[in-house]
Amino acid sequence: METVLSISNISKRYGKIQAVNDLSLDVKKGQVFGILGPNGSGKTTTLSIILELIKSNSGSFQWFGKAPSNESRKRIGSVIESPNFFPYLNPVINLKIVADIKDLDYTDIDRVLKLTGLYDRRKSRFKTFSFGMKQRLAVASALLGNPDVLILDEPTNGLDPQGIAHIRELILLIAGQGTTIIIASHLLDEVQKICSHVAVLNKGRKLFDGKVSEVLAISDSFELSARNMEALTQAVKSYPGFQSMTPGDEKIQVYFNEVIRPDELNQFFFQQGISLTHLSERKRSLEQHFLELLHDNA
Amino acid sequence: MIKLIKIELKKILTYKIFWILIGLYFIFLTAGLLMAEFMINNMVDNLNKQSPIPFPHVAIYFFPWVWQNISFFATIRYVLIFPAIIIIILITNEFTFKTIRQNVINGLSKAEFLISKILLIVVISVIMTFFLMIGTLIIGISHTADITFALIIQKSSFIFGFFITMLCFQIFALFFGFLLRNTGLSIALFTLYIFIAEPILYHLLKAPFIFKNNISPYLPVNSIIRVTEYPSIPILKQVMGLNLQDSISLGTCCVPLLYSAIMIGIVYWVLVKRDL
Repeated sequence: METVLSISNISKRYGKIQAVNDLSLDVKKGQVFGILGPNGSGKTTTLSIILELIKSNSGSFQWFGKAPSNESRKRIGSVIESPNFFPYLNPVINLKIVADIKDLDYTDIDRVLKLTGLYDRRKSRFKTFSFGMKQRLAVASALLGNPDVLILDEPTNGLDPQGIAHIRELILLIAGQGTTIIIASHLLDEVQKICSHVAVLNKGRKLFDGKVSEVLAISDSFELSARNMEALTQAVKSYPGFQSMTPGDEKIQVYFNEVIRPDELNQFFFQQGISLTHLSERKRSLEQHFLELLHDNA
Repeated sequence: MIKLIKIELKKILTYKIFWILIGLYFIFLTAGLLMAEFMINNMVDNLNKQSPIPFPHVAIYFFPWVWQNISFFATIRYVLIFPAIIIIILITNEFTFKTIRQNVINGLSKAEFLISKILLIVVISVIMTFFLMIGTLIIGISHTADITFALIIQKSSFIFGFFITMLCFQIFALFFGFLLRNTGLSIALFTLYIFIAEPILYHLLKAPFIFKNNISPYLPVNSIIRVTEYPSIPILKQVMGLNLQDSISLGTCCVPLLYSAIMIGIVYWVLVKRDL
């Protein structure tokens, strides 16, 4: 598959703070790539480097297999941090400026305004907009001219639940059209709902990357015990989705990499001739899982 | 280039503050130019109170000298400060609104961004020169008795001097705007430099013990404003013994243009080096 973005060993230091530390990434065409990490983990710095707003101290990156240039940035639509527009201009003129820079004609402006629900407010000046509307205009501007890549930095930050749902729907819609999307977020839940691939960052360092389903697999665990612990230990290994087990004399802790229903599990053991004396489900929240991921690799 | 001018025009066409300042500039400029003769004669009257031989009243609006006089009065600091402040606001706005970041993200290079602002200055200077040319023609024709074409164009090179001053003074403002990035700070320091710092420096450097040759005329603002050195008023020659220019020489334009080139170079270097 065609590589859209290739980052090799970039580092960026602000005084004593190592914002990005020897980061390498590959984003392939059509992926919805999440950059996940807590605040201050280097997500925005990374995006700023690949958009040439700041210079890295070392390392390099390529867009579409070539050295970065004005032309490559014209093929990228981005929403970075706050929405930046001229407050005294209406959204149409603001978008015309974007279109001029990207060498696009103005025919796409109405479409992106309608898509983001701003068409009715197209005559109002930007400064009269609510925060949610400003954020939507930033998304509209990023979508102008159907870019090959969409870069979104915390796209739902500061939005109300309705706004969040709207933006996420929009992202999924665009991803469905085959556009490559790169999203930075500190919300695991968001990455899991939207992304196909993810890289987890902490303190500027990449902890791991891969498919979301693999990296963020939630393994629920069960505590089990029975009179015949040995038979139980044997039988549980043949259960579909079995991952690992912590043996014990009184109880065993079993991890699965699939969603397991306790009643089905119970029935399975009964059919095997084992009566459980104890069964309890241990569910980890996504956030807990995320924190564990970070903690294990700190 | 056309693309960059198109972008700049979109940024100002519906910007109220821009038009208010342009309006104020026109009012000050027109009022200043029309009152210049009256003010000079007021000064002559005051002078005559102490002088045994009375000086005659001056007339400054007739061809061919009107070119020199209008160019001189249109380039005094109090008038030039208006377009300079407009330029500072337009440039620092881009940092305040972070639109320079957005422009770069969308595919403009930092060099293109700088060029677009220089082009804006060139466009404003050309338009202003054109307006002043029309104004001078109207004033001159209505104040000259025997008009010939040769008389009209005789001293018209001074309008080119006005253009050079407009251009370089705004480039000087651009320099402050890009380096300081903050609207209030840029306007404050720029105004302080124009009206206080450089005049003090000018007189200090005149002192013979500092430099053998007087380098005061080569200070940036002084060199920019003194492209048209003095108005053509006989008293200046008679009383103060000043040497009045005949025309705009390329030599006098060189110093301000050189300053502009250096400042643009510094701005470019800083812009490329600093993160946005």
